[in-house]
Amino acid sequence: MPPDISVRQLVKHYVVPERAGGLRASFRSVLRRKHRLVRAVDGISFEVERGEVVGFLGPNGAGKTTALKVLSGLLHPTDGQVDVLGYTPWDRRAEYLSRITLIMGQRQQLFWDLPAADSFLVNKAVFGIDDAVYKRTVDLLTELLDLGDLLTKPVRQLSLGERMKVELAAGLLHTPRVLFLDEPTIGLDVTMQQRIREFVTAYNAETGATVLLTSHYMADVKALARRVIVIDQGKLLYDGALAGLVQRYAPHKTITVHLERSVDLPDLNGQAEVLSVEGLQVTVRAGKDDAPEVTGRLLTQLPIADLSVEDPPLEEVIDQVFRGDGP
Amino acid sequence: MILRRTTLAGALALTRAEIADMFQYRVVLFLYSLWEVVHPIVYLAVWGAIAGEGDVGGLRLSDFAAYYLTFMLVSHVTAAIEIYTFGPMIQQGELSPHLLRPMNPVWVAAARNISYKSVSMLLLIPVWIGLVIILRPTFSITAGSALLFVVALVVAALLSFLVGTTFALLAFWTTRSFSFWEIWIGLTFLLGGQIAPVELLPGFVQNLATALPMRYTLGFPIEVLLNRLDAGELALGFVLQFAWLIAAALIVRTVWRAGIRQYSAVGA
Repeated sequence: MPPDISVRQLVKHYVVPERAGGLRASFRSVLRRKHRLVRAVDGISFEVERGEVVGFLGPNGAGKTTALKVLSGLLHPTDGQVDVLGYTPWDRRAEYLSRITLIMGQRQQLFWDLPAADSFLVNKAVFGIDDAVYKRTVDLLTELLDLGDLLTKPVRQLSLGERMKVELAAGLLHTPRVLFLDEPTIGLDVTMQQRIREFVTAYNAETGATVLLTSHYMADVKALARRVIVIDQGKLLYDGALAGLVQRYAPHKTITVHLERSVDLPDLNGQAEVLSVEGLQVTVRAGKDDAPEVTGRLLTQLPIADLSVEDPPLEEVIDQVFRGDGP
Repeated sequence: MILRRTTLAGALALTRAEIADMFQYRVVLFLYSLWEVVHPIVYLAVWGAIAGEGDVGGLRLSDFAAYYLTFMLVSHVTAAIEIYTFGPMIQQGELSPHLLRPMNPVWVAAARNISYKSVSMLLLIPVWIGLVIILRPTFSITAGSALLFVVALVVAALLSFLVGTTFALLAFWTTRSFSFWEIWIGLTFLLGGQIAPVELLPGFVQNLATALPMRYTLGFPIEVLLNRLDAGELALGFVLQFAWLIAAALIVRTVWRAGIRQYSAVGA
């Protein structure tokens, strides 16, 4: 079976006008406009198999959203080939648009003053969803997203989190086979983020849809994606298992010990660095290779009640990748 | 282009939702409608004062009353509002969610146009009836002229929508599409049968008005209804009106295609 998404050497450059602040620069720009080339996506290639959930990571301005916009057909690329479900996205064929969805955290497609149910009916007609399928899908989405009576309230009266749930449902009424989710949990509280994550997992399991998502919240990525694609400045830095990313880029482990009583810390031979001492809890960081030895020394030389060895938080690993400190 | 069944159903559903949405803005609509009532009354007052007890170029006060009262309805039905509804959508990036649907977003502009007009028409009609009672115009209408009027009015509304959409689409390239629109508004004011019925314009200006598209979005349907044209003028008028409609449709298509590439180039 061919992959659902296939991207070959995708390039997207923008030319943006540029000028310094101030009145003088303003006058100068009237006579002579300066432009700057932005290489938003600079030759990335990857494939996503049917039913896979892939996290698309990168700092702000890395090119994630641009890539998703090309994949969903909003943007024409500068160069490269993209094939999604056998279609070239930017041809924007009706058959293609009926099989995908792009959900952006900040964008809204709902009528602001009307209950979401009205916007749903518009989508039902536009996508040509027949009555029985529509009812089944709305029931399923209401259950998975716990929509309750949200569909009958004017959208302007919904909270941000409620609106996001309804937006998500509106974008899924036509049961797309490929979901592009751009920051689906942005601005939501922890409970709501959790809820959206559970939903995406359930939706993926239920429908076998392929999901490509970007998020600033590592918790999203950890919960949803076994595979991540990391891009920075338009270039692909890593494509593989989430676990492998940590393995490859996390150069150290964090060792936390709970002491039985207060004592002086032993000499760690420069193999570990004390990160914090809070009461009887001590946290040290040791190089990946030194971690076993440091752990042994701590165990033999200290009155230990409890000890744990962990990989650093994913945020730190990602930061490491972006700073280019990795192997 | 083959019209897909779901496109029509989608456009209908969209129009229904837009109408429901439009009811939220009753006060704004009322104020707009008030303007549509006031400005033809001003033209009528001026021409009425000039005509006095006599006539101007064969038009008496009651003829002017008939012209400008018809104008009131026609200008409402054919008003192009796309520069206010569709242009800002392009500028503010609100087009993207619509581009993800399997329906051309120009249908969104069309739905908004229809919903605006149908809701505000409800406010305009009672005022219009009141004015007819007060001003007692002479409507010289026949069954034939009424029938042709419906055709001319529908084509005028379509043409006006396409022209409005073309100017709104300039928002793909410039944040100042309003400036270009002002030129169109100015030309329609002079040549479209607004400041004066086209038949009162001086010879060469009248020829210009006959050739250019502005009259076919406004003055022409009024002249048809009130039987102001002979058979030859009527035929020429319809030929030119349809020709401009086809031209406008081709222009919108070309500008849309170029615009969407441009939108895509700057980052949607």
